Amino acid sequence: MTERSAQVVEEPVADKPAAVRLRDVGKTFRKRRRETTALEGVSLDIAAGEFLCLVGPSGCGKSTLLSILAGFTEADTGEVLVDGRPVTGPGPDRGVLFQTPTLFPWLTTRQNVLYGPRARRALTPDVREEAAELLETVGLAEFADAYPHELSGGMRHRAAFARVLINHPRVLLMDEPFGALDAITRAGMQRFLLELWQRRRTTIVFVTHDVEEATLLGDRVSVLSGRPGRTKAVVDIDLPRPRTYDDTETLAFVTAKRRIREVLER
Amino acid sequence: MSLDTAPSRTVTAVRRRERRQRSWRRLFVGTAALAAALAVWEVAAYAVHDAVTLPTVQETVRQLVHYLAAPYPQVQGKTLVTDALISTGRILAGFALGTVTGLVLGAAMAGVRVIRELADPIVGVMRPLPPIAFIPLLVVWFGIGEASKIALIFFGVLPVVTIATLGALDAVPDEFTHASRSLGASSFHTMLHVRLRAAVPGVVTGMRIAMGGAWTSIVAAEMIAATGGVGFLILQAGNYLQTPLIFSGIAVIAVLGFTFDGLLRLLLRAVDPTARR
Repeated sequence: MTERSAQVVEEPVADKPAAVRLRDVGKTFRKRRRETTALEGVSLDIAAGEFLCLVGPSGCGKSTLLSILAGFTEADTGEVLVDGRPVTGPGPDRGVLFQTPTLFPWLTTRQNVLYGPRARRALTPDVREEAAELLETVGLAEFADAYPHELSGGMRHRAAFARVLINHPRVLLMDEPFGALDAITRAGMQRFLLELWQRRRTTIVFVTHDVEEATLLGDRVSVLSGRPGRTKAVVDIDLPRPRTYDDTETLAFVTAKRRIREVLER
Repeated sequence: MSLDTAPSRTVTAVRRRERRQRSWRRLFVGTAALAAALAVWEVAAYAVHDAVTLPTVQETVRQLVHYLAAPYPQVQGKTLVTDALISTGRILAGFALGTVTGLVLGAAMAGVRVIRELADPIVGVMRPLPPIAFIPLLVVWFGIGEASKIALIFFGVLPVVTIATLGALDAVPDEFTHASRSLGASSFHTMLHVRLRAAVPGVVTGMRIAMGGAWTSIVAAEMIAATGGVGFLILQAGNYLQTPLIFSGIAVIAVLGFTFDGLLRLLLRAVDPTARR
């Protein structure tokens, strides 16, 4: 395909995954005259459509990095670019999934999903239809009118997914989203996420402290050092896609996992 | 795709029906408990056999019904209904003023640091004070008319609602506002539809507590300095050893208090889905 024709068939930008670029990002917190350097000189390039996992010891600034990408926290130094544009604040182009689902308890599942479009005054019949489809996709069609406290832990997480996906984010930022789930639900959510990424190919930045989870999900795994957080190494995971939970028992998987662990413990 | 037990619409429906059955059961048991208490009263009344110390249930009911429409004392007195309306009016006026002011003050304290630092010690000193202690002062300032009663309720309700509002706003997790902002809502929209909205159940709970305190204060105030209201009626009935009427007044307060708490509970259920059980 020539460059010219490629331009002609170009899809609307809003649906295409975005590339993320971090240059020398640093962040220091000041609390009661005590300074804590959370991040120091972190640089990272994430290609459009890539699934990148961030691992590191607790307190290494993984969550701070994600918060900077989301626009909740401002970096003290360095550059944060999403598709070439600097991050200035939170926005619907970067969907965030937190450690807890943070569904609004006073809204039903459907109202939670429609919160974004409604807040941006973009609620059209088409969007309502899409919400219904999304609820179908995440297996919550029957629970559209239930309130969050009536849902199980896994269902709440899937509802939170739907709430973010309706905005067509170009990057998904996930902060240990399955950390609080039991092992079985967690495996189910990982499978769900893999299927979703396989279909949508959104750029994903996934923070976890679980090496196995990072190996199963990521194209690459960026390992951060302890405080202050710096990039220690970026490990490529060359396991074939699509991956399933069964892959965790293969030799290639175990080898990849050990490589990450070695970097972590170095 | 579904990871949890095969969900269906019927699951929610069944759960709701069970909940309804439970609430019917609770109503039945509650009524039975009240009936049992009345039975104990009746037996005790026959045992005591002295209408001034403890009248029978039917004598109390007879007097209650009679004085609903008949004035007491006969000269310059008011009917039970009038007295109840007077007390209710004072409560509603003071409660409305106190709640609105408490909401504004609590929200201002949560939002503006200087206001919090200024108001915190004042509210902290005010809160443990029994509002009743202010009655003589309020009478000196406002007389024995309506203004002193409304002011009393106001000063009782204000710190409770202020602290409830402040606490509820402080308790809204940062994740809620972050989630809202990253879903594309403006900071104004987030303030209105997430931070304030998330605090509403806590505020209503504070209102329920304040309402309980308001009844205590108003009855006390009416006993000390008033010419009408249920508290005044009870005091008059006591002075003339009209025990059945004392019980009638207490019953009226019980019914009114229960009604207002019930209304606030309905409000809580309307604003907080997790309270619907």
